[in-house]
Amino acid sequence: MAIRTIELSPVTRIEGHLEFKVEVEGGAVQEAYASGALFRGFELMLKGRHPMDALAFTPRICGVCPTSHSIAATKALDDAFQAEVPPNAHLMRSVLLGVENTMSHATAFYALFGPDLVNPKYANHPAYGELNQRLAPLSGTSYLGAVKARVKLDEIFALLGGQHPHGNCFVPGGITFKPDLAHITKALVILMEAREFVEETILGGKVDRWLEVKSLADVDQWMGEGRHAQSDLGLFIQLGPQLGMDKLGRGPGNFVAYGVYDQSDGQPWLKRGFFDGQFHELDQARITEHVKHSWYQDYDGGKHPGQGETRPHLDRSNSQKYSFAKSPRYRDHVAEVGPLARMINDQDPLVLDLAQKLGPNVYTRVLARLHEAVRTLAQVEKWLHQIDVSKPFYHKPRHPKEAIGTGMTEAARGALGHWVQIKKGVIESYQVITPTAWNVSPRDFMDQPGAIEQAVIGTPVPDEANPVEVQHVIRSFDPCIACTVHLIRGSKELKALEV
Amino acid sequence: MANLVWLQGATDNGCSISFLNTHEPDVAQLIRRFEVNIAFHPTINPTSGPEAMRSLEPYAQGEKPLDVLIVEGAVQTGPNGTGEYCIVGERPFKELVQELARAAHYVVAIGTCASFGGIAAAEPNPTEATGLQFHRDQRGGFLGADYRSKAGLPVVNISGCPAHPDRLVHTLAAVLLGKGGAIQLDEYQRPLDFYGSLTHDACPNNEYFEYKQSAEHFTDKGCLFEELGCKGPLTHSDCNRRLWNLHSSKTRAGSPCMGCTEPGFPDEYVPFFETVKTRAGFPRKLPLGTSRTTYMAMAASAKLACPDRLKSGKNKKK
Repeated sequence: MAIRTIELSPVTRIEGHLEFKVEVEGGAVQEAYASGALFRGFELMLKGRHPMDALAFTPRICGVCPTSHSIAATKALDDAFQAEVPPNAHLMRSVLLGVENTMSHATAFYALFGPDLVNPKYANHPAYGELNQRLAPLSGTSYLGAVKARVKLDEIFALLGGQHPHGNCFVPGGITFKPDLAHITKALVILMEAREFVEETILGGKVDRWLEVKSLADVDQWMGEGRHAQSDLGLFIQLGPQLGMDKLGRGPGNFVAYGVYDQSDGQPWLKRGFFDGQFHELDQARITEHVKHSWYQDYDGGKHPGQGETRPHLDRSNSQKYSFAKSPRYRDHVAEVGPLARMINDQDPLVLDLAQKLGPNVYTRVLARLHEAVRTLAQVEKWLHQIDVSKPFYHKPRHPKEAIGTGMTEAARGALGHWVQIKKGVIESYQVITPTAWNVSPRDFMDQPGAIEQAVIGTPVPDEANPVEVQHVIRSFDPCIACTVHLIRGSKELKALEV
Repeated sequence: MANLVWLQGATDNGCSISFLNTHEPDVAQLIRRFEVNIAFHPTINPTSGPEAMRSLEPYAQGEKPLDVLIVEGAVQTGPNGTGEYCIVGERPFKELVQELARAAHYVVAIGTCASFGGIAAAEPNPTEATGLQFHRDQRGGFLGADYRSKAGLPVVNISGCPAHPDRLVHTLAAVLLGKGGAIQLDEYQRPLDFYGSLTHDACPNNEYFEYKQSAEHFTDKGCLFEELGCKGPLTHSDCNRRLWNLHSSKTRAGSPCMGCTEPGFPDEYVPFFETVKTRAGFPRKLPLGTSRTTYMAMAASAKLACPDRLKSGKNKKK
């Protein structure tokens, strides 16, 4: 049977510019090429600028998850300036990042992933009418409810951080805003409204009840109670396996998380780590970026971002190169980042059980996202209660002329790192590795395909005119190409996930 | 029914996200009440790939009327004029803009990148990015100074990083209600309703500004203009009159205004977090329209007149 190439470019309902091509033979994807199709050159713009100005530039890498960039940049400068960050500032930062990541998860499920469930392919499924009523873009009841809940949550951001997107309240040493008690109570009231949407529409029941669900067996029990099974989550729990999503999009089976949401003591709420079947400590010195298949000046192997370089070189005559995304690797391994990676490295019992019994796939990835959203929203409420408005929110740090700093955090869609070098009081070098660079990366120096490419390989394509299975896989990662400032054989055996 | 096509070039999608925050009308109301057909938006589109690209053809070729074209993000012309730093559906983004701008009745540049180049075109402008009809403060840009849409108008610039949703939605509403001809633009083609006053207007720190009481560090009480880099008195926007997400603004949260609605953003407004001063200790860039001598005289007498309740601890009378 002949190999047929299917163009999926541009992939819409992701954030930004992704070009995607798959080669299909025998009804399944044999090769996959993910191409980041936008180069913006932030690293080049930042050289020579005032270090604090990175706080304004880098959030503009992504208007969907600007706060994660703000926090990465702020933490890089906290580190470089050896800033003392007051507990209130840690809490404020975590509240604002938590709000943004929760909004982003809602958007990913309802506006980006969800509409594929009303793809014509499923027209004969008994739930299709119901799905259409809930999830159709710009008219579905849940779609519109999610848009409204998003807007509501954004109000919390404005109350405590000025505006969203692109408030600029995050600074080394703390935060620019000192709220009064009435700001905190108002934020809590708005949070209650968001919780109502989660309980009414997503869960069909109480948040606290869902947080007691710790295993696949608990999920079954939960599904039998009240109107849980009729909720959006309940519907997805039934449909995912029926539509074969638990068999799609396995991916590399390695997971990186940087740790996120500093608590009042400065320690992250969600733990950092590397998981490849076993849990490992994460050592940031082992992160490298490769460019063999990316449109940059070549170098051998990978470079740590602290010594990284960004020299664009668009040479279409070099057929090895096909993306503006670089290829981040951990100890030379391809790794997936995102809510599934965070929940696994945090050893969340529910997600560990799902991953162990079902493996990583589209279904577990989407469930991990919704589960994390519920967990985070509940946690934001706790952090708001811990803020003590009578205590400081900022300590001015000194600004050394020579310093280096690393800022690591998590955007909704995965691990995000900023690396800064300051010389003579200005930025000498600035490197960013975005979560989408991890997930959407092309092949690396050893020719290992990136995480989404691996996940797409082997995906069945029964209808070449409507390769919705491939779209499910890509969108399950919630790729965000605005972020990405800078092929495999189907027969390759994928590592089994063992917990 | 009005057909609307929304393209994204060199952008972080922040203006799309900001647009989703619109109130009165919200997005669903806008679509329903104004009978807007969002024929294409990369983040909303139900279809993908070549099918999505084909849906643009009837608009480009004039088979269907393209009532409003919205462009988010700068147009990258690099490397070497190819436009290949931004590819959409295997084509340089700039070709799409050219084709659709020819067919559109109104063209709106949403955000400072599409309006003037913005962050996408910041020095050293590594991707040769430019705005639709301006490059920074110079008329011209990608479409050229003489470009007019079918309605006879130049590109309408809704600047800001991001743009406040009201600025776009109520410009659209005016067009859809047949009042497009009544929109008054300033010299940078921004609607005066939104860009006719300064960010400083309605800032709650104004009383501190009046008596020259400055915040020295973040979270201190005081005005951010003289120490912490605020560009509010130099920037045309309604951020403090209209408020963001119904509640606040940068300066209300103690963060300096960055001048993000202006053609010179970002390079003319750096550093963002500290104020560059003259040897005499006054801000090098003064509030728009003031002269150095009158500002110095005003500052001296304002400090003398300052009521005790506004002074910070160390300046208070014993």
